[in-house]
Amino acid sequence: MRRYVVRRLLGAIPLILGIATLVFFVVNLAPGDPAQYLLSRGMSAGVLAQMRHNFGLDQPLLVRYLKWMGSLLTGNLGYSYSYDRPVLDVLLTFLPNTLLLSGCALLLAFLVGMVLGTVQAVRQHSALDSGVSVVLLFFYSMPSFWLALMMILIFSLWARNVWHWPLWFPASGMHAASADLMSGGERLRDALMHLVLPVTSLTLLLTAGIARYMRGSMLEVVRQDFIRTARAKGLPERSVIFKHALRNALLPIITLLGLYIPLLFSGTVFIEYVFAWPGMGKTIVDAIGTRDYPLVMGGSLLFATMVVLGNLLADILYAVVDPRIRHD
Amino acid sequence: MIQKGAWGLASMAAVAVVALSACGGQEAGGRMAATDSFCASVLPKVDSFEAKMRAEHPTPKDPRYGGTVVVGTIGELSDGMNSLVASDFGSVQHQDFLNQMTLIQYDDSLRPIPYLAQSWDVSPDDTEITFHLRHDVYWQDGVKTTARDVAFTYERATDPRTAFPNPSYWDRYVKGPNGVEVLDDYTVRIHMEPQQEFMDPWRALAIMPAHLLEDVPPDQLKDHPFNTQCPVGNGPFVFVEHEPQDRWVFGPNYAFPQALGGRPFVDRYVYRIIPEQTTLLTDLLTGGIDIYIAVRPDQADQVRKAPNLRLIHFPFRNFIFVVWNSRRPQLADPRVRRAITMATNRKEIVQSLLKGYGTIANSTVPPFHWAYDPSAAGGLPYDTAAAKKLLTEAGWIDRNGDGVRENPQGVRLAFTIKYNKGNQTREDVAEIMQAQLAKVGIEATPRVEEWTTLKGELISPGHRDFDGAVMGWVSDFKIDDTDLFASSRIDQPYAWSGTHNPTIDTLLTELAEPMSRAKARPLWVRYQKVLAQEQPYTFFYFPDRLDGVNERVENVVMDARSDWVDTKDWWIDPAKRH
Repeated sequence: MRRYVVRRLLGAIPLILGIATLVFFVVNLAPGDPAQYLLSRGMSAGVLAQMRHNFGLDQPLLVRYLKWMGSLLTGNLGYSYSYDRPVLDVLLTFLPNTLLLSGCALLLAFLVGMVLGTVQAVRQHSALDSGVSVVLLFFYSMPSFWLALMMILIFSLWARNVWHWPLWFPASGMHAASADLMSGGERLRDALMHLVLPVTSLTLLLTAGIARYMRGSMLEVVRQDFIRTARAKGLPERSVIFKHALRNALLPIITLLGLYIPLLFSGTVFIEYVFAWPGMGKTIVDAIGTRDYPLVMGGSLLFATMVVLGNLLADILYAVVDPRIRHD
Repeated sequence: MIQKGAWGLASMAAVAVVALSACGGQEAGGRMAATDSFCASVLPKVDSFEAKMRAEHPTPKDPRYGGTVVVGTIGELSDGMNSLVASDFGSVQHQDFLNQMTLIQYDDSLRPIPYLAQSWDVSPDDTEITFHLRHDVYWQDGVKTTARDVAFTYERATDPRTAFPNPSYWDRYVKGPNGVEVLDDYTVRIHMEPQQEFMDPWRALAIMPAHLLEDVPPDQLKDHPFNTQCPVGNGPFVFVEHEPQDRWVFGPNYAFPQALGGRPFVDRYVYRIIPEQTTLLTDLLTGGIDIYIAVRPDQADQVRKAPNLRLIHFPFRNFIFVVWNSRRPQLADPRVRRAITMATNRKEIVQSLLKGYGTIANSTVPPFHWAYDPSAAGGLPYDTAAAKKLLTEAGWIDRNGDGVRENPQGVRLAFTIKYNKGNQTREDVAEIMQAQLAKVGIEATPRVEEWTTLKGELISPGHRDFDGAVMGWVSDFKIDDTDLFASSRIDQPYAWSGTHNPTIDTLLTELAEPMSRAKARPLWVRYQKVLAQEQPYTFFYFPDRLDGVNERVENVVMDARSDWVDTKDWWIDPAKRH
C-alpha cells in the first residue's frame, strides 16, 4: 500500500505541472489583458504600454512561462494584480471561508444522503420511497442560483418582515457588520446564524445525488446471499443493515467523496455570489474577468492538486473499505 | 463500530465548524493581522496618535454621536485608498470624502469651496494657481499635512511611470517637478496653460502622504500594501480594517479639524460588498445594511413602499449609448447613423427599462450641467418615416426585396451590436434596437461578449473589431470629449467611433480655452447640435442614480457630486441603534 501511495504521489507531480502549463497558455492566450481591463478615460496608448510593462506583460510568452515555472518551483506563486498581495496570501485568505461552507455542506449532505438512501432502499416501493425520490429530484433539478435566492426570500425576508417569525436568518455575509465588537459567545452565535442558509442551500443541492447512489448501491447489496444469511441467523434488522449491508454499499459513495473533495477548495460560485460569501469560487471567477493571471494560475494549480489528491484518497479508501481491492 | 466511528467523525467535524466560524480571520478589536512590514510599522503609529487625539478631543455630549452605519453595494474598492492608482468609482469616493482630503470640494451648484486648501489665488494670466493650505490638518499617524504632500502627489500623478488613471486631467498642466513649487510649508504653486474648468482635477484628486510613499518607485505604487492593507489619510475617517471581497471598516478621525466639523458623528462606517442585487435589496429590507448604493430601477418601487426606507434619486453623470464604428462601410455615413437614432424609440426604452428614472441623452452633457441645452436634440425625434427617407437619400435601398437595404455596391445594411455578458440592461437595449431597426430595413444582430474581450476590441488601434457596441461612460464635471471625438486622437484607445469632423475638432479646441460660463455656453450649444448631426453614438439616456436609505440614518445628502458627499455628517437616530 505504501509503495502504491508513493508511486501515485510521484506520478501526480508531472500531471500537476502539465495542468499548470495548460492553464498558463490558455489564460494568457485569451483576448485581453489586465492593463486593458484597467484602462480608463484619458489613458493614451503610451500609458497602456507603461502599465503592461509594470505588469511584466511586454516580455515574450515563453519567457514569462519559464519565469513563472521557475518561481513556482521555489514555492513562489507570484503577485496578484487585483489584490496587490502575494497570490498565496490571497488564496489563504479565502480558503478557510470555502472550507467552512463546503465542509459543512459536504458533511451534512453525506450524512443525510446516506441515511435517506438507506431508508429508501430498505423501504423500496413504499410511499416513503416515492415521496423522498420526488423531493430529492425537485432539489436536484433546481438551479443553484434560484434555490439560494428562494432561501433568502423565505427565511430572511418573509420570515422577518411578513410572517414575523421569532427566528430569521441574515441574508448575506459571514458575520454581522459589528461582529468584531461582540463578545465571544455572541460572535459564535452570529457566525453560525450566517452559516445556516448558505450551507442548507448547498446541502440540498448535493444530497440528491448522494442519496440516489446510496439507494442503488444498498438495493444491490441487500439482495445478496450474505444478507439473507445474516437475517436467517436472527440478527436484529438494524445490525443487518447498518453493520453488514452498509459497509459493502459504500464503494460508490467513496467514489463520490473523491469527486466532491475538490469542492472543498473550489467552492461554488453561485452560492458565494448570492450570499456574498467571500470564497474561492467567486475569487477565481472574478480573477479571470480581470485577467489577474497570477491568481488564476495559482488557483487553478491549487484545484488541480486537490483533484489529484482527492482521487488518490478515494483509491486508498477503497482498499480500506473493501479487502478484495489490493493496491501494490 | 461504524456508528461509533460516525459519531466520532461528526463530533470532530462539529468542533472544526465552531473553530472556523469563531475565528473567521479576525482578531479581537477588529484589526486584521498585518502581513507586511510596511503596515506593521505604520499601523501602531496610527493607533497611538488616534488614542492621543481621542483623549485630547473628547466627544461632545450630543446624542447624535455614536452608532454604526453599514453601506452595501456590489463593487469592491479594488484600488484602495491611493489616488495615484485608483480608477474605480467607489475607491475615489472613499478617498475624497472619507479617508483623505482633496484641496477643494464642490458645493451643490458645483462651484469650488475650500477644503484642504483654505484659499487660493489664480494669476491674472491664468497660468498659476497658488494654494494656501490649512495649518491644522494631520495625517492619521501624527505627521502634519504640508505643501510637500501636495507637491509629491502632483509629481507622481503627472509622472508617466505611475500610470495615473486620469492623465487627461493634466493635459494643459505643466507636468512633473517643473509644474509645482513649494513656497513654504503651507503654500504651493501649480503651473499650467490657460484652460477651462481648471479647478476640476483638484476636486477629485486626494492628496497622498509624502512621508510614507515618496520612497516607493512610481511603477510600484500600484502594488503597494498602503492601498488596501494600511492606508493612512487625513480625512474624517480612519482606516480600521479591510477583508477582501467582504468589507471595509472605517472609524472616526479624532484629529479632524474642529473648524471643518471635527470627528464624524458615527463611531463606525462599514462598507459591505454584496455582489448580487437581489440579496442587497433583501439586506436593506431586513436591516442587514442601512444604505444600498445603486438600486436597480425595477427594485425602486419596493424601496419606496417600505415603511422604514426612503429612495433617494438624482440625475447622475453616467450615460448609456451605442457606439458606431464609422470605419465600417455600413456606418460611415452620418445620415445612416442619424437614421438609426430616429428609428429607435428611446423614450419608450427609458420608460420600460428605467421605469422612468432617467432622461434621454442627446450628447455627452448631462441634464443638470450648466452647459446642457435641451433643444440641441437637433431634430432627431422618433420618426420611422423620416428615418427611411434619410436612408434612401443616402443610397441605401432594398434592391432585392429581402427586407434589408443595400448600397449601390451591393453591401447590405447589416451589422452586429455587441454588449457585455452580465449586463441585462445593455442586452435589452441591443435586442430592442434589433426589433426596431428591422422595421426600417436594417439588420442588426445582437452579440454578447465577455467584458474584457469586448473592451479589448474597442480600444485596440488597428484591431477595432466591432460594428456597434452598447457601452456606458461617466462624464466628469469638466466635460472634455477630446479623447472620444478629436481626429488627432483617432489612433488612441478611446477613439472608438473613428470620428473625423473638422467642425468638432475646432469646437473641442475652443471649448478647452478658459472663459466664463456665460461666454462658453453658446459654444456648448453649438457643440451639442454638431454632435447630433455627426451622431458618432446613438445616445440613449442618463439613468438616475438610485440609493435606498434606512430612515434611522439622518442627514443623508446624495447628489451628482457623490453618494458620499456628506458622510461625515450622517448620524444615527439614537433610538434606533443596535
